[in-house]
Amino acid sequence: MTRAKGLGTATGASSIPEIGVALEALRAPFHPGGQTAFLSDLTVGELILLEEIGYRPIEIVSGAGSASWCPQFTTAGTEAKMWGRAIASAIAEARAGIASEVSQRGADGVVAMRLELEREPANQLTCTMLGTAVRGEQGSGHTGPAARGPFTTTLSAREFHVLTRAGYRAAGIVLGVSVVGFSARSASQSLGLVRDNIELEGQTTALYSAREEAMGMMEREAVSLGADGVVAVELSERPVNTMLTHAVELMAIGTAVRRGPRGHESLDPQLQLALDDPAAEVFTSG
Amino acid sequence: MAGPGPGSAQGLGADPGPGVGSDTGAFHATTRVRRTPTSDLSVAEAAALRRVGLSPVGFVMGSAVMQLASTITGNVYGGTAMGGGIGWGGLLSSARASGSYVESYPCAHFGFVLNAEHYGFNAENTVLAASLFEGYRLALSRIQDEAVGLGAHGVVGVKLSFEHMVGAAGTATFLATGTAVLHRESSPLASPFLTNASGQNFERLIGLGYVAAGLAVGVGVVYVQPNCLARGDLTAVGPNPQIPAAVGVARGRARQWLASTAHSMGEGVVHTEWSDRRFVRYGESWNQLALAVGTAVRRYKTEVEPLMPRAVVPLRP
Repeated sequence: MTRAKGLGTATGASSIPEIGVALEALRAPFHPGGQTAFLSDLTVGELILLEEIGYRPIEIVSGAGSASWCPQFTTAGTEAKMWGRAIASAIAEARAGIASEVSQRGADGVVAMRLELEREPANQLTCTMLGTAVRGEQGSGHTGPAARGPFTTTLSAREFHVLTRAGYRAAGIVLGVSVVGFSARSASQSLGLVRDNIELEGQTTALYSAREEAMGMMEREAVSLGADGVVAVELSERPVNTMLTHAVELMAIGTAVRRGPRGHESLDPQLQLALDDPAAEVFTSG
Repeated sequence: MAGPGPGSAQGLGADPGPGVGSDTGAFHATTRVRRTPTSDLSVAEAAALRRVGLSPVGFVMGSAVMQLASTITGNVYGGTAMGGGIGWGGLLSSARASGSYVESYPCAHFGFVLNAEHYGFNAENTVLAASLFEGYRLALSRIQDEAVGLGAHGVVGVKLSFEHMVGAAGTATFLATGTAVLHRESSPLASPFLTNASGQNFERLIGLGYVAAGLAVGVGVVYVQPNCLARGDLTAVGPNPQIPAAVGVARGRARQWLASTAHSMGEGVVHTEWSDRRFVRYGESWNQLALAVGTAVRRYKTEVEPLMPRAVVPLRP
């Protein structure tokens, strides 16, 4: 690796005339060539990070999926398969949609993907994904992990950069969903007339089994991608306790990663005093 | 593309044309006497801009409050007939006539007559898209005018937004704010650049051999009249293709429009801020809106020193 050079020093005193040159470039009318403009929702800092590990932005890609289910059919201690599958299929459809847009553009994958889940109404879920499709540069030593189709990840450009430098590849978004029913509380419990502090064992058990099912599904997906592990798992749990429906919904979404051919590479950090706004603002906004 | 084309985007960016600065609608801003430079930059942003040789000259704003063109003139089902040209049926027929996106989603209840009201459709709303684009265009040309008035070379950290005026349906306030910056050694530009990048990101952009050329805007709107599946009817369950299709088409249009406005300004777009909204609801129906605003960038130098990031442990809490 060449000598590390800070972003600040690259545009230091010697480069002051450059702004004049840059502004001159704006005076002349722009003649678009045959090229199509690249589109990216990444910040300049993020682009630099990706360029450094050999990825160029191609276009903004998106995917969406939606499904609805019958929430009332839940049985205590049993997994509500239809409900869980509906949620999983909405997310999987969005993932398949964004992956096909990535393939159509000849890109290798999508980084810093925004994943949004919208419930509207209560028994319906819409999942949307949006991010910048990137292509690995040829000969950069970072051939795209396209062997098993394009990768998708919610990891930010900064996290993706660290992941790649540490010798890992993103294999794709993996998800696990489970909905497990539990028995209703007794009438006195529902009315708040019980003086004792009692654990609702059915509910606790349902939460644990939902966790087992969801993590199990996510692990199966990761194994099928040939991954060595899953990082940045986000768990979201939602109990639904209405007149007819008593269930706990659990979702796990993460990025499956594969170890590269050279294995783990350690990154030696240096101490730094930043003369800048907080890094989170610089690298994760937009 | 049907309806509002990318041609109407001329003057949004740094494209120097005779129209820039004059085509800003009926409104004429009064020129305020500025006693001192103002800015909404953070200290670090101001320092980054100083490093590239730019000084802040003033906080600038462009705004337009608009009554949006109506797309509904009758009842939701088009009154006399789908081809009658009134109501949302009119939207449907005009979308069909202009060849833009329109798709039917029949009732999933085995076609029972009783459930006929569960018929749904998606239709591209080019009227609303054009209205929103016009509001953005006005706000951006006015902020650019203020920058011209200050003799600035550009505006950094442009924040672009729109909101409904409280209590006034069908209106929208478009607002663009930012800080005008100046390079004292260069003569003024006919049309200063606009960018939504922060001062630090502008510095990195210059270091990378690119200069901000202007803001690229993309708008896509699809009117969604949901069928039974898309409205979450308890008696119809399963995958529902209507909402994903609406989101996909709205985003696709916004992306297409973003690319074509950027094409005349530079080699690419960075920093795109996306938002998806459900806009102007009527009962169960809504307009699925996708908005994209990004900075079109132009390469001014191909020989650049590589910027090498390094792993660090910051000395801050």
